[in-house]
Amino acid sequence: MSNMSQYLWLIPFLPLLGSAIIAGMGKNVLRGASHWPCILGAVGSCVLSVMTFMAVQAHEIPLLDEYVWFRTGSVGDPASVQVAFSLRADGLTAVMLITVTFIGTLIAIYSSSYMKGDPAYYRFFMAVSLFLAAMTGLVLANNFILLYACWEGVGLCSYLLVGFWFFKPSAAAAARKAFLVTRLGDIGLFLGILILWSQYGTLDYQGIFQHASANDPYLGIACFLLFVGAVGKSAQFPLHVWLPDAMEGPSPVSALIHAATMVTAGVYLLARTMPLFGLCPDVQAYVAVTGAFTALLAALIALTQTDLKRVLAYSTVSQLGYMFLALGSGVQHERLATLAVVAAVFHLFTHAFFKALLFLGAGSVMHAMGDVIDMRKFSGLRRVLPTTHWTFLIGSAALAGFPLLSGFWSKDEVLLTTLRASQNGPYATLYMVCFISAMATAGLTAFYTFRAYFMTFWGPEKIPAEAYAHHGHSHAELPEKPHGHADHGHAHGGHGDSGHGDAGHGDAGHGAVRLESGEVMLWPLRILAIGALLVGIVLGPTHLFAHFLERNWVNTPDGFPVSMRTDEAPHPNLILMIGSGIFALAGIGLAYLAYVKNPKMPAEMMNSAKRMYGLSRNKFYLDEIFAAVFVRPLQAFAHLCRVIDQMVVDGVVDLVGQFPSMIGAAIRPVQNGLVQFYALLMALGVAGYLLAVLVR
Amino acid sequence: MDGTSLMMIALVALPIAAAIAIAALGSRRVAQARVAALGVSLVGLVLSLILAWQFHQHRAEHPPALSATPTFAPEMVPGADPANPHKTTWNILELGRSGAVQFYIGLDGLNVWLVVLTGLLMVPAVLVSWNAIEDRANEYYAWLLVLGAGLMGVFLAFDLILFYVFFELTLVPLFFLIGIWGGPERRHAARKFFIYTLAGSLITFVGLLAVVVVVWQRSGSEASPRTLTFSIPELIAQVNMHLRIPAEAAFWQRFQVALFLALFAGFAIKVPLFPMHTWLPLAHVEAPTAGSVLLAGVLLKMGTYGFLRLALPLAPDACITLGVPMIGTLAVVGILYGAFCSLAQDDIKKLIAYSSVSHLGFCMLGMFALNETGITGSMLQMINHGISTGGLFLIVGMLYERYHTRKIADYSGIGAKLYLLSAAMVFVCLSSVGLPGLNGFVGEALVFFGMFKVRPTMAVIGTAGILLGAWYLLSMLKAVFFGPLKEPGHSAHHGQGHSHGHGHAHGNVQAEAVGKHEGSGVQDITGREVILLAPILALCLVLGVFPQPIINSMQPDVRVVSTILEQRKEALRKAVPAPVETKTAEAQR
Repeated sequence: MSNMSQYLWLIPFLPLLGSAIIAGMGKNVLRGASHWPCILGAVGSCVLSVMTFMAVQAHEIPLLDEYVWFRTGSVGDPASVQVAFSLRADGLTAVMLITVTFIGTLIAIYSSSYMKGDPAYYRFFMAVSLFLAAMTGLVLANNFILLYACWEGVGLCSYLLVGFWFFKPSAAAAARKAFLVTRLGDIGLFLGILILWSQYGTLDYQGIFQHASANDPYLGIACFLLFVGAVGKSAQFPLHVWLPDAMEGPSPVSALIHAATMVTAGVYLLARTMPLFGLCPDVQAYVAVTGAFTALLAALIALTQTDLKRVLAYSTVSQLGYMFLALGSGVQHERLATLAVVAAVFHLFTHAFFKALLFLGAGSVMHAMGDVIDMRKFSGLRRVLPTTHWTFLIGSAALAGFPLLSGFWSKDEVLLTTLRASQNGPYATLYMVCFISAMATAGLTAFYTFRAYFMTFWGPEKIPAEAYAHHGHSHAELPEKPHGHADHGHAHGGHGDSGHGDAGHGDAGHGAVRLESGEVMLWPLRILAIGALLVGIVLGPTHLFAHFLERNWVNTPDGFPVSMRTDEAPHPNLILMIGSGIFALAGIGLAYLAYVKNPKMPAEMMNSAKRMYGLSRNKFYLDEIFAAVFVRPLQAFAHLCRVIDQMVVDGVVDLVGQFPSMIGAAIRPVQNGLVQFYALLMALGVAGYLLAVLVR
Repeated sequence: MDGTSLMMIALVALPIAAAIAIAALGSRRVAQARVAALGVSLVGLVLSLILAWQFHQHRAEHPPALSATPTFAPEMVPGADPANPHKTTWNILELGRSGAVQFYIGLDGLNVWLVVLTGLLMVPAVLVSWNAIEDRANEYYAWLLVLGAGLMGVFLAFDLILFYVFFELTLVPLFFLIGIWGGPERRHAARKFFIYTLAGSLITFVGLLAVVVVVWQRSGSEASPRTLTFSIPELIAQVNMHLRIPAEAAFWQRFQVALFLALFAGFAIKVPLFPMHTWLPLAHVEAPTAGSVLLAGVLLKMGTYGFLRLALPLAPDACITLGVPMIGTLAVVGILYGAFCSLAQDDIKKLIAYSSVSHLGFCMLGMFALNETGITGSMLQMINHGISTGGLFLIVGMLYERYHTRKIADYSGIGAKLYLLSAAMVFVCLSSVGLPGLNGFVGEALVFFGMFKVRPTMAVIGTAGILLGAWYLLSMLKAVFFGPLKEPGHSAHHGQGHSHGHGHAHGNVQAEAVGKHEGSGVQDITGREVILLAPILALCLVLGVFPQPIINSMQPDVRVVSTILEQRKEALRKAVPAPVETKTAEAQR
């Protein structure tokens, strides 16, 4: 029993406390200082995470299992339910904790500058802090219901933050969409949990993992349903449609929630439940295909998007696809489960750095450009935004898989795992197809990433008028803040034409305004850039990362079943490395040719493949298809229900209600007050009675 | 008579006495009437809390033991029999030597939280009417208090006749509350509500009398002395004893089906279970806010409570054979149908009314899992729905008081104007959609856990309600509280005032900052509203994180019901050794 066990609860509690403090005091007391509880909570949580990591490194597995959440039924009752606030930190959790709290801290610091001046400043930090609590809880949870609770909790924070600027119709719509699409997946997760519970009689991870065997009839279905939950949360096809829209949220949110951490919850779930998925090769094949297909699809869409943040959003979808591809390649017969989770989690880890970096960089660009994010409206920013430029370049190179940078190492492990899975087994061909698709996607990734980079930072220097209007406006309102990190609410909805005296800031005034973001925003970029440069080469080829996970998670007594473990170190495949390196360089080179050397080329390419371009540009019409196939029919059905309810269901009630008066109306003539009529009726009655008696 | 008994009686008697006094104040003393009503409702809340605490202490000292013939054992019964403190000696109407209608009230795990819920919701019901009701305010508050007393009485009663009297007593005040202080269609709504639910409960009354009569007729054999009783615990014990006599089994099987259907008639309409729900949206839309709060928050629970207290233990076999397929199906259909109807509404109150149909479907689904987990979930869902939906109606009432419309299309972006009110609305909506950490989740989860063991298909279909619930509530939030600001009756002004120079969004941001001070004179949440909403919001959070004390206090009595049902399931399984059933059982293993 380690000392760390007693403090585990503080990791989610500190940000939660921060959130509560901001909720209570932010609006009227803290105001512009509302970021402090959030930052302090994140830092505290990060320190504790590092301590947890050290404890795990020393071969301890801190466990806190004292507080019951809810419990019904007696022992022996098959329908009894026991759920505790049970927290546990093994190797996987430790890695996730470090990722979440470290990047969370950097982003909280960045946001304190980025969000400055927003009227709802405190609301932002309240939700971010709450998110950190839910996300750390998610990775610490030691049973499925607590996981589910935190899973929904991070979804809530995503909802609140995507809809942060709720007065924008697009943001309000995106928030609802994000919540509902992920909740569709959550139902799958919940049903999967229900099946596991009814099969194994418990909700604890270890209890279920120990009892599971490949012969269980419902295990495959349960795993598939868990995967449905992951598909929703991690934005995989066909439930990926919410993530690009979620870019309506502030950029730090996109970096933290929709790139580095929350969307990786699905990857975490599958890694955590690998002892179950490893037993279901059919489901694994499905996971791999979904991952590979999503990676390719999102990369194709990213090729033609002109909104910088959306390009990054699709690249997130695509990279998450890689992680699922790796997880799906964890087939038992090749003993690949270990390799698969290591590859997926390693890619998750490196991706968190370079993607958070890219989103924060995009935020910095947006900040400077007066919230313009359409790449057609600006270009050549490398001299205007020097620090943003070089950090963004590192992030892009890492994402593109440029040799020796972090993305290169982790992506190679993914590819290697898939290649190994395609060596034999019933689905060998399928995995081969996935592998080829993933290689092609690697090339596409390099191309679209550098397309965005070149479009933004190269070419003639072009800066939209909003950039100056924005700054001018800030000066006018907030004279004590020379760099004018004004709120973003001001800039939405046709603000550019608002005439805040941008006549006075004519072209002549351009040079005088410094557009680059302040140091508070640039330092997180620098730190993340260093991470994007180095984490791959330090942890990848040295196997430090792999060994940590194996020793402290996979090969622990409560880790994977022995049949899934492997002792062999994954020896790097040099040919594969060279091949993927060439793909990356080719993609970058092509982007250079098309967007720097020969700027007419994109238009020509567009014309030569108009249909393809249209498909990609319109995201393969998936939003429209879903609207036509699901949303609108269901809405029509709802209206039908409403009409039926009024006409039929209530109509019948009213009809029944008419009965008494109808009967009354029908028999009223009988009592007409004529004595002769009564006599006649009496006579008829007697006659009828006699007849009845006689006939009998 | 000791203090506890006095307090128990006061729960019912005090509001009625106060109602008479307030009615006598005359219609011009509005201020006195509402202050008096507030005082009485606060006293009621304090009483219910004290009693709940005493109940808790009492149970901790004397944990109830489950006998072989389990039946309810109410605590703190006024006029308790010295020999058996769970029985009373207070007869109202003696019938012959042996039987009597009794003033038999008490607390147990099934009703204690519903009593607290009633006490709790009475306070905001009075407060939310503070400025909204000026016309004939004395009568209004009098009827409101009578309604509260009736609801308390239903939950407290352990005598069949007493139960029924209170059950019907609630009709009268609500009839007047809707019919006098309601919306434009109030007369129609009040009449429909009254006749529809009365028609159902009259059949229920026949069923209740039949139990008494049949038990009286069938007893007096060698097994038991002749028994004429109206005591619910005793009737349950009697019925279950007779069920075990093989010679009588056939008769009781048939009788139970008839009894179940009779009870179903009244309770299912009250719940309301699809397709007997159509009185509810109408009544909600027309009712004044306080009426809606009590109607959705507490009154509907009389139906679910009736099933739990009477139908399940008195007709267990019929519940198992007939109830599970019938009510399970209706509940699942109701969950989906109510949600879809909700999705298509253009009136906020109607939307919430249909959401009640959907949520009460969850409640019934869990109850008819007929196991401890499901029934516990159902009970939690009753309490949680009372809190969440009560909160929703309160907030909608506040909105209505400000803008005098409930049409969704009349609103947009209210969040920028009424910032705190909107935040409260988002919070309560999240509790209503069952977000973990808030109160809705635990009950809902237990409902599904319970049902999944019994009828997995029903549970699976029911989970679609989780998504649909989020869909209609979040759509309402999006339409009313998010987006560019448009206030009913001020749309023209705003459209011109802000969209020119700054764009809509800009104007709204400023409105968020300064909404309190300028604009159309509409102000964000007032102190009175904070006081009436705060306990509800706090409970949403507390019950979401610490539900276990509630579960523990309910457990012994839930176990009475679930044990009866388990015993009968076992008996039925033995009675019909159908080869098909054993085969499926083996397959499951």
